[in-house]
Amino acid sequence: PEETVTSSFASFIHAVQPEHLSKTVRHRSKRMILDSIGVGLVGSTTHVFDIALQYCRLYSSVAVSSVYGKPGIKLSPTLAAFTNGVATHSMDFDDTWHPATHPSGAVLPALLAASQMLPPGTKPNGMDFLLAFNVGLEVQGRLMHFSTEAHNIPKRFHPPSVVGTMGSAAATAKLLSLSTAQCAHALGIAASLAGAPMANAATQAKPLHIGNATRLGFEAALLAARGMEANPLILDDIAGCSGFSAFYSIYQPKPLSTPSDHHEFLLEKQDIAFKRFPAHLGMHWVVDAALSVRNLFINYAGSFSPSLIRTIVLKIPVSKYINRPFPSSEHQARHSFQFNACTALLDGEVGLSSFTESSIHRQELRELLDKVVVEHPEDNVANFDKMYGEVALLLHSGDVLTGKCDTFYGHWRKPLSKESLLKKFRSNASHVLPEEKIETIITMVDNLENLSDSSQL
Amino acid sequence: QIYSSDISSTIWGHLDFRLPPLYAAFVNGVAVHSMDFDDTWHPATHPSGAVLPAVIALAEAFPREKKISGLDLLLAFNVGIEVQGRLLRFSSEARNIPKRFHPPTVVGTMGSAAACAKLLALDQPKCKNALAIAASYAGAPLANAATQTKPLHVGNAAKHGLEAACLASQGLQGNKQILDMESGIGAFYTDYNPQTLPTLQSYPWLLDQQDVAIKRFPAHLGTHWVADAASSVRRKLVESSGNSLPLDKIEKVVLKVPEVKYVNRPSPASEHEARHSFQFVACSALLDGSMSVQSFTSENIHRLALRELLCKTQLEHPPDNTPSFESLYCEVSVMLRDGNTVSDRCDTFYGHWRKPLKKEDLEKKFQSNASSILPAEAAEGIIETVYNLEKVEDCSVLTKFLSGQSVRALSEKLH
Repeated sequence: PEETVTSSFASFIHAVQPEHLSKTVRHRSKRMILDSIGVGLVGSTTHVFDIALQYCRLYSSVAVSSVYGKPGIKLSPTLAAFTNGVATHSMDFDDTWHPATHPSGAVLPALLAASQMLPPGTKPNGMDFLLAFNVGLEVQGRLMHFSTEAHNIPKRFHPPSVVGTMGSAAATAKLLSLSTAQCAHALGIAASLAGAPMANAATQAKPLHIGNATRLGFEAALLAARGMEANPLILDDIAGCSGFSAFYSIYQPKPLSTPSDHHEFLLEKQDIAFKRFPAHLGMHWVVDAALSVRNLFINYAGSFSPSLIRTIVLKIPVSKYINRPFPSSEHQARHSFQFNACTALLDGEVGLSSFTESSIHRQELRELLDKVVVEHPEDNVANFDKMYGEVALLLHSGDVLTGKCDTFYGHWRKPLSKESLLKKFRSNASHVLPEEKIETIITMVDNLENLSDSSQL
Repeated sequence: QIYSSDISSTIWGHLDFRLPPLYAAFVNGVAVHSMDFDDTWHPATHPSGAVLPAVIALAEAFPREKKISGLDLLLAFNVGIEVQGRLLRFSSEARNIPKRFHPPTVVGTMGSAAACAKLLALDQPKCKNALAIAASYAGAPLANAATQTKPLHVGNAAKHGLEAACLASQGLQGNKQILDMESGIGAFYTDYNPQTLPTLQSYPWLLDQQDVAIKRFPAHLGTHWVADAASSVRRKLVESSGNSLPLDKIEKVVLKVPEVKYVNRPSPASEHEARHSFQFVACSALLDGSMSVQSFTSENIHRLALRELLCKTQLEHPPDNTPSFESLYCEVSVMLRDGNTVSDRCDTFYGHWRKPLKKEDLEKKFQSNASSILPAEAAEGIIETVYNLEKVEDCSVLTKFLSGQSVRALSEKLH
């Protein structure tokens, strides 16, 4: 097999031995080590070092924050946030916004962990919590409006790792009641912790993006709370020295107006999409289209008979990381138009079990995948507000059956009903929690504004 | 959960407490870059600070029975440096002083992951995953340079690289082509042309062809040219006016430097800003004759004579002065009231890779740095251990010195 760049690096790291080192290299690198140690030693007398150290000492062993699904286990707050963030995005089942990001997973875990961290007597109530959460969302939305690039499905940096980290910093700063200056520094520090490339989407590492967004944003706020300072112009566009603008090629920041009675949160104008099954948002269009054409097909042929199908044509927008003809892992399957369309055709539905090893590799599915052809109509823009999905079955008989979906059920234009949302929650929660706990959570969140101590959540 | 267990690593210079390896790497990395005193390479990054704290912290995390030798440590360290150098060569942007992402946060994180993967002896697929996972932690914008947050860039590079290697070791997988794809590490560059590494047979290490620069005082590398030129101008001024600096006769100070926005600060207000100011270093060197750790204390930053001189200082950016550590130069000209001008130019400062520090001067820097924190025997112990690193059987001897233990028995262990 042809050797890739990445593979050659891995081979080098793995196979290199001491005898490969030359005399000059040994000599120079030892000088570097000596110098580096000396520099580190004197550096331990600085103020910035004190802050960093205090922070780590305080939080490395205080295990007060809960972990989703693990009643007996507690972790230090930022690590709990990390773990819970990873959990949230682990199946790509979490919410998606427009412009594109996964807003909640980047904010909620940090807030939950933080609320457990605060001493009794200063615990935020449900309203504080709800507000902080919305601050986290709002900041993310506003930042995304700074670049027209953000309106389309991403190509370079995974948005939750960019704006999510900032949102988490903002939300936590809010919950911890930091001063204005400290909030600015929290954002500044968070920017230096933001930004993961798209390439890890559709891999097991993707959930880390949310885990790290929520954890690192939280850390940024904690550091700012302890006096750490960053660039106060981090969100501004300064030529020659990039701040937050580093993550975009076009960047036009705008100041946020001071909150007044009339401040309109973005969430007001632009709702969220909730997923009905655990896969990338783009999949939801093709699945609804596939289900619709499946019905037509069953009416036509009496039952779903794959042998009658010559070709399956998918009309989808151009987006490399979700165009996968033959996914081989669950992560890839969640990011494959082809896989999701075929699963919907075959099973009449897509759910958690669609992504198990056996489901992914079954023969009937592979046969269907073989028949798939992908087209990218010009009017199908890679944008969650404008895209559509069309599935056409070209039968051996010459007949063509088509299904098209402009707005899937769960999209912000067609939001999930309360019953559907509760059904999803109960179904998910029942994997790890007993019924009474499930119902308690539902009630608590429903009445969040009236909750006196949000750490109960 | 690993990080809430009892495993702990040394905080350099501190005997009194330890931290889990992840946080030890972070904190020591922050220390290394806290004063901008650490090494610089070409293409530009601060290679050692992103790697050394991570491998040292990791070496301490192995179970007692498993000994990490000095040679293991040296090899892992060099893997971490080499990977950084190779990655920097994948983009022509990297050859100049950065504008968008701070290089240690991009390649440093990857280098740390590679070095830790080596020390953990991960198999080839896991090494690949370590790199892939690390990429998702990489990248911080330049705007936090010259602020208190900058040292975190190196601390985080070390910490996150270590974390990536640990996650890979536990089976986490990422994109197998993370270095090949534009949407992988390529995301941090506008032009990106990755290349496979040469085979291991007579491997051409980058450190062989290209040495690092070691700083003589704690400030941005660009200011080192300025300091040398300014010191020389001061000598000339002092000689020609009876052995004292004729401050009130100075009309104007002009610095010819490359255009590097984040080091152009006419009036720095904090130590972080002062370390990133051509103007500040020029004036400091003119006043004192040389730069040192002390040049950046609050009193020295705010002293009147310096502030007055700063007001007379301006920058010029000659078109032939390219913003690259390989080719930049600095010219300092002091214009006197009587019409005379005294100037000097520095093309290569002492400590640059073209004019490396001599052994005595490297040791002098180390001793000066270490002496305020460590007892003399520990400092001596470190020097000896590092010089003989290949022969050290158990590198825990290094970390014991680092924590300040000055046990005579330890020094004897070396011989």
